[in-house]
Amino acid sequence: MPNSPNQSSINQEIICDLQNICTAFGDNIVHQNLNLKVRRGDIIALVGRSGCGKTTLLRHIIGLTKPKSGKVLLFGENMLIMERVAQRRLMQRFGVLFQQGALFSALSVFDNIAFPLRELKQFDESVIYQLVMHKLALVELEARDAMLLPAEISGGMVKRVGLARALALEPELLVLDEPTAGLDPDRSHNFIDLVTQLKKSLGLTVIFVTHDMDTLASLAERVAVLEDKHIIADCALHELIKSNHPFVVNFFQSIRSRLEGL
Amino acid sequence: MTAASFRVTQDGQGRHHVQLLGQWSLRVSLNDFAKLKKSLQPFFADNFTKWDLLEVHQLDAAGAATLLSGWENKLNDNISLKPEHAELFNTLISLAKTSDKKTVSDWLSPLNSLGKGVLQFMHHIVEFSRLLVSLLIEIAYLFRHPQDFPWREFSANVYKSGVNALPVTALLGFMIGIVMGYLMSKQLHTFGADVYIVNILGLSIIRELGPVLMAVLVAGRSGSAMTAQIGVMRVTDEIDALTTMGISRTLRVVLPKVLGLTFVSPLLVLWTSSWALTGGAFASNLELGISFRFFFDYLPLVVQPINLTLSLLKGLMFGFVVALVACHFGLRIKPNTESLSNSTTSSVVTAISGVILVNAIFAILTRSIGV
Repeated sequence: MPNSPNQSSINQEIICDLQNICTAFGDNIVHQNLNLKVRRGDIIALVGRSGCGKTTLLRHIIGLTKPKSGKVLLFGENMLIMERVAQRRLMQRFGVLFQQGALFSALSVFDNIAFPLRELKQFDESVIYQLVMHKLALVELEARDAMLLPAEISGGMVKRVGLARALALEPELLVLDEPTAGLDPDRSHNFIDLVTQLKKSLGLTVIFVTHDMDTLASLAERVAVLEDKHIIADCALHELIKSNHPFVVNFFQSIRSRLEGL
Repeated sequence: MTAASFRVTQDGQGRHHVQLLGQWSLRVSLNDFAKLKKSLQPFFADNFTKWDLLEVHQLDAAGAATLLSGWENKLNDNISLKPEHAELFNTLISLAKTSDKKTVSDWLSPLNSLGKGVLQFMHHIVEFSRLLVSLLIEIAYLFRHPQDFPWREFSANVYKSGVNALPVTALLGFMIGIVMGYLMSKQLHTFGADVYIVNILGLSIIRELGPVLMAVLVAGRSGSAMTAQIGVMRVTDEIDALTTMGISRTLRVVLPKVLGLTFVSPLLVLWTSSWALTGGAFASNLELGISFRFFFDYLPLVVQPINLTLSLLKGLMFGFVVALVACHFGLRIKPNTESLSNSTTSSVVTAISGVILVNAIFAILTRSIGV
């Protein structure tokens, strides 16, 4: 490789750019002058203590909430000031997996995945059938699961179906909120493998929030630490361990002691 | 990014060569596969068309599936592909819908659905009786352990379904009273029987309209709220949490709602009826010149007081029916939005139908009293 990995990632286009974000709920200031850049092809993890505003930040990125001040640029554009059609086009370029899956509970697994495809109004039902089955195979689910309702499938399957739905429109950016929360270690491991593999084969950029050390260690290429209302570190995991910020030290204490114990 | 496009050339034998270019992918937001398919349709129909996909930059499942649907789900020698694309096409072909299930018209299906309906109705009856019995058991238990009575929930329900309902029931009662008063005074005036307005309004409002109006309002207002609340409690496992704390769900969830509404309904009947009577008196004052003083002095003389007792009894029963039906449907909600909306609808519809049924039975039983 002619360039070091670091060099090549700097040359990559910036997909998501958070500039001077400030957020406050009432008197409680959550983010203050927060800056973060995500480049194409990154897998970036957002970590921080519970309630520090990670999910809020994700919701800013995907345009569900608006920061009090500051700019969120997604694919170089500010979603909040776009006109409706362009905004919808932009929203088709990213897929979101919510913490609880957020599947439409009244629709079957098949219809959940078919939903965004049908909304495009470009495909007839036989094509949609093929595409849904393709997405199901992609997340390693069986064709016979397609007719089940979300209430009838396990937590791990809900996440997979949610992922398949997020992937239905071939997004460039995948946003995952706690992708492995509520999964047993084996399943969460499988899920991480799945995401890594999909990232490679589909050329995705992934932003995710996690509390789980295993997920962090095995999925993240970059870690952004949200603490004290802004990003205190944004680097690879092995560089982060060298940091001596009290929060980072605390956060990794458990892992270190466990590793030493082995 | 280059949008998907194609170029058509014709060779010496008149065959078309279609060369596909650009990115056949959903990622390019300018792509409209419906339009592309439509403009390619004449070439799909022609079996001799040669297809050249070697210049396609990027091909995703959506693009490939669209092309495949034009090619009737098979590849042939006329199609030249990049090897990596061939793999995607083959995967998609293997995933195609194998057999379209033909919908066979089943002559027995109306009978089947009727049978299912009957069974479901029976099931509802059984479950409803079960709920009723468990409620009675809890009440018997409370006689022995009066300190367990859920006073807090009881008073919350009295407040929510009683006190908060005062403005709306008053408004509706008043307006119905005015309408009835106007219509009847017109009719009575033709016969010169002006004074009978008090008899008619008094009897119809106190005995029928007041209780039924109250029950319909309460079913729509509090019944639906109870069903939705219990339903969401079920969806979020709150009912299970109660059970694991050793607290009976019937005692803590169903009983305060049923007793609360049963307690407050007669009071609401009184309230609604008095507003309806006021409305009626108002209308007859304007239309027939009957003074308020005369209206309310004359009322107890022409409407026997037993009617008021009947009306309060009705209120008691209606409140009980509405709350019990609401709880019954609430406890049957499954964890999805469809079930929540269906159950809430059925709860209100069943409660109102139940109220009218009970009202009819009660009217037959008390036909000789107070008229």
